[in-house]
Amino acid sequence: MHGDYSVFLDRMSGFLGGYYLVLALMNAVAAFYLWESGKAKTIFRLGRFPVTTALLWLIVSGVFIVIAPIALGGGAGLLRLPRAVEEGVNRFMDPTVYTLGSLVILAILFVFRRFFVQPTVAWIMLNLSLLVMGLSMTNPSFADIVTKPDNVPIVAMVYLLSFFTWLSAYRAVQNDDRARRGEPPLEALENEKVLVWPDLVYIELICMVALTAVMIVWAVALQAPLEEPASSVKTPNPSKAPWYFLGLQEMLVYYDPWMAGVVLPSLVVFGLMAIPYLDFNKQGNGYYTIEQRKFAYVTFQFGFLVLWVTLIVMGTFLRGPNWNFFGPYEIWDTHKVEALNNIDLSEYFWIYMLGMGRPRAPEGAGELTKLGYILLREAPGILLVLFYLVAVPPILAATVMRKFFVRMGFIRFMVLANLLLFMAMLPIKMLFRWTVNLKYFIAIPEYFLNF
Amino acid sequence: MADNTSMSVEETLAACRRLDGGDAGASAVSMNQEAGPESAAAPQPVEIKPESSTEPSVGVASSTKGMSVAEILAAARREKSGESQSAPAPKVSSASPQATPAAGKPGEMSVADILAAARGKKTAAPAPAKPVAKAEAAAKPKPVAKESVSKGPSSPAALDTQSILSAARKSGKLGPMSKEEAKSKGVVTERGGKTAVAEKAAKPVKQKLEAPPMPDKPMYARRGDQMAATPAEQTRRSFFSSAVGVFFGSSLAVGFTMLTLTNVLWLLGLARFMFPNILTEPPTRFKVGFPDDFAPGQVETKFIPQFGVWIVRYQYEGQPQIFALKSVCTHLGCTPNWLDAEQKFKCPCHGSGFYKDGINFEGPAPRPLERYAIRIADDGQLEVDKSQTFQEELGAWANPASFVPA
Repeated sequence: MHGDYSVFLDRMSGFLGGYYLVLALMNAVAAFYLWESGKAKTIFRLGRFPVTTALLWLIVSGVFIVIAPIALGGGAGLLRLPRAVEEGVNRFMDPTVYTLGSLVILAILFVFRRFFVQPTVAWIMLNLSLLVMGLSMTNPSFADIVTKPDNVPIVAMVYLLSFFTWLSAYRAVQNDDRARRGEPPLEALENEKVLVWPDLVYIELICMVALTAVMIVWAVALQAPLEEPASSVKTPNPSKAPWYFLGLQEMLVYYDPWMAGVVLPSLVVFGLMAIPYLDFNKQGNGYYTIEQRKFAYVTFQFGFLVLWVTLIVMGTFLRGPNWNFFGPYEIWDTHKVEALNNIDLSEYFWIYMLGMGRPRAPEGAGELTKLGYILLREAPGILLVLFYLVAVPPILAATVMRKFFVRMGFIRFMVLANLLLFMAMLPIKMLFRWTVNLKYFIAIPEYFLNF
Repeated sequence: MADNTSMSVEETLAACRRLDGGDAGASAVSMNQEAGPESAAAPQPVEIKPESSTEPSVGVASSTKGMSVAEILAAARREKSGESQSAPAPKVSSASPQATPAAGKPGEMSVADILAAARGKKTAAPAPAKPVAKAEAAAKPKPVAKESVSKGPSSPAALDTQSILSAARKSGKLGPMSKEEAKSKGVVTERGGKTAVAEKAAKPVKQKLEAPPMPDKPMYARRGDQMAATPAEQTRRSFFSSAVGVFFGSSLAVGFTMLTLTNVLWLLGLARFMFPNILTEPPTRFKVGFPDDFAPGQVETKFIPQFGVWIVRYQYEGQPQIFALKSVCTHLGCTPNWLDAEQKFKCPCHGSGFYKDGINFEGPAPRPLERYAIRIADDGQLEVDKSQTFQEELGAWANPASFVPA
């Protein structure tokens, strides 16, 4: 095992050396840019000498330059997270912690966005995440998953998405400040028109060339992720959908196929289509803002970042053989045992609460009698779901979403409320699954109807 | 403007255009330049010198000339007979001041001069001099006809002009106009619109005037329904359409019939494709060995690659049985794996787990694995029949065809 690890480190050292050099270069460029443009801010003064952000990034760059030869020269084994940290992460990481943790982190980023969107803070976070990434790459399990040809672009896209989310929040915070001072948004100042030729065409040409170059490098550097020939009786383990469907695949863990594969995705599409008809907020047209469109922003980011992107990341990096959950530094063991005895709500109600068997139709009963017994058996779940979808919208209208109800009218509000409730159903079900192993609220396998 | 002997600018212009004949486009352009407010900035012809940029130059011109409209028109008439035939064709396309043709020549009156004179005659107050910028938008093919409706001082002089105009219109050129021409006409329209405000007093008189009849549309310019109105056309057309029906329509019918036939044949071929001559699939009924071959508690996985079935010797509701489980997950149809160490079936797609007897217990699978029919054949071997399945949730596992007691 130890020998294997040294072989693994030899293989990784070249990559890591280059990786740290790139980080050094990145910081050096940032330092140069700040110094050159005069945008560097003074952090504090050492005597009379100002310590600016440019100097800070120059120092960081120097540190990475020192690290790079260590990684290249066979010292990659030193550059790793403490074993205790890795094991701690593995032990504490489970779907609940992962999803709720992502939610909490995103909520913190949102609430304190004024602090986090500062370029200096954002750059620090980028550096830290890249450093942790580099240190983690010396862990074989982590490196194995992250460097899979399938997964490399997903890592890149996580960073890309973070960047664009930061960019929009950065501009939104600026615009919100300007709006408070009564100034027009930044976008209103940039009303210069540019020409299709040559401006746009040149940009497109450059993009085309750059994209082609990236594709060529990608195609040469990463082997095509081909697998064994398909067989109807042998499913790869784990069997993963294309990356963009991994959120759906994760949804399928909690819901019946017709629900997670048909109803909920359709509602996502219809919900997005309905936005223009539901949105009564006329502000925020043509510029970034958060303050003026708080509800829309939070709802969208919750649906996109929490219910879609984090699920894709989880499905890509944290779901291993048998679709078990694995920590980021955990070996993908096919025989990992997880106790997942899932129980339907009807069992909870009839067996555990009332201490009796679930109602069952007597032998030889007619179809209608059987159906009656099935409905009786699932009555708690049916009532619960009916309450959720029928009673909750009026309650919302009367309490927290009163303003919405007044502004939107009955039908539009009901559409909005039901779309929101369906969106919320996924995390609710996930939490019930993880905490009390709830399988289905309504389980009628006799008619392929499970909810 | 209240002067009832005056005539509108556009009338004069129209008259000048007719009189000038081929010169029309350029003269209109020159008029445009001199009468508009831009004229102050543009190089001026010798005879016309505006006093200021805001005051229209025409007023000045008229004061220097001091000719009555009738005189102007007479002069124009003379010019036509004497000059217009031999006048060199000016550059119509050019809108530059150099295009103003005869303005610089002493003794001869350019059309612009005539126009300026006419306007000066009627303008006690300076004419409104704004609208040139909008003029292009108003460029329409038939401004002359419109103008003739809205114009019309009733004085004898004006009537005289009117008759000259209509005469000129008839003798003038018809048919398509150049862009410059259309543009200049548009300008005229715009100006007419402006002056009309000032001429409100004369309006009731205007109503009596009639526009000269438009020339008949040439055949090629008529719409289809107008053409059809004439009986001769109708017959020709119907003959043509019937000819189309006979020749083209029949070939169309033949073509579509052939297409339909081809499609039907293709569909039949496809249907035939569903019944191949040789079926390489394994039979749905197959023998898996004697019951004693299976140890108690064993899950036999060797039939999976070929038949997709597990043979399990286990118990269900306390009864020891041998049964055949279908290797299709009841959640979304992946093939679960039998994990011997954990003694369970586990699906790699969404993590559904099943006990050894096929009952679901983890993950999203909503119901147990299905059973195939199994029986002891005549030779004492177990025979699985994949054509029949038994679902536990429907109570079918109590069916004796779904298991063999062991």
